[in-house]
Amino acid sequence: MRIEKCYFCSKSVYPGHGIGFVRNDAKMFRFCTSKCHKNFKMKRNPRKVKWTKAFRKAVGREMSIDPTYGFEKRRNIPVRYDRELVQTTVKAMKRIAEIRQKREHFIWRARMRVAKDKLTAHRKKKRQLEKATSVKLIEPVAMESEEPERIREKVKVSAKSRSALIPGEGRSMGMDID
Amino acid sequence: MGRLRRSRTHHAQRDVHRASRTRARTRDLDQIQMIDLDPKNRAKLEAQPLDFERPGLGQHYCVECAKYYETDTALKSHWKSKVHKRRLKELREPAYTIQESEFAAGLSTQGRQGTATAPQWEGAYSV
Repeated sequence: MRIEKCYFCSKSVYPGHGIGFVRNDAKMFRFCTSKCHKNFKMKRNPRKVKWTKAFRKAVGREMSIDPTYGFEKRRNIPVRYDRELVQTTVKAMKRIAEIRQKREHFIWRARMRVAKDKLTAHRKKKRQLEKATSVKLIEPVAMESEEPERIREKVKVSAKSRSALIPGEGRSMGMDID
Repeated sequence: MGRLRRSRTHHAQRDVHRASRTRARTRDLDQIQMIDLDPKNRAKLEAQPLDFERPGLGQHYCVECAKYYETDTALKSHWKSKVHKRRLKELREPAYTIQESEFAAGLSTQGRQGTATAPQWEGAYSV
């Protein structure tokens, strides 16, 4: 039994999982999920897809060169079973994983520190720029006008002067034609 | 209300689903870069014998794009095209391989001739 690595995302592919594609030059491509297989069929470059291990290593988000990576290998010649050897191997695997985790965390923290400094610097700069270029609004001041405001008054017209006979001073809208 | 179709929605890529079938798989970038672009193979690909199965009898082949053209003018206009230039740009950097995927997973790259000896763990504990 061999635990393969996914061609696209570099995850482990356990026996009975995933799918394989054999190209016409007899090269075997393993995929952990249909997602990875589809992306392969779309001819995407894993180095340019952000969620893959290849991207993260290429860009420098994760450590790529480390002595803890030297132990896992594709060994094509089987080793005869030895109880002692298995015991030490399992013990070593745990210890190596521990060391690697610590180193990865250290690198992650260093990366985050740099990112945070960058962000704060950017924010500071932005704030300063805003201050320098902001438009100052002058508060509106209530002005007292010299002339008293004219008030329109309704003029009352008595009902008597409104004659039904001659509305509008003889220019009525009547039917009569002159 | 019908759907208003925007223009320029396909970037010279038509029928993606048919093209993405594994049985219709075209040559990969790593194959082109490592095999086809080798001058010896290139010369062979550019001067192919008459093949009645191929477009244009297999006489007008673009090695970088792994594509046959009907006529010489079509091939020449393809060389000037954006698709071809994009492909040239992609071929400039090393292609992604299975080895790289294994390296990204943390496998060391001592692939083929693995040693039969049991791994030595002495150094690991001192780290």
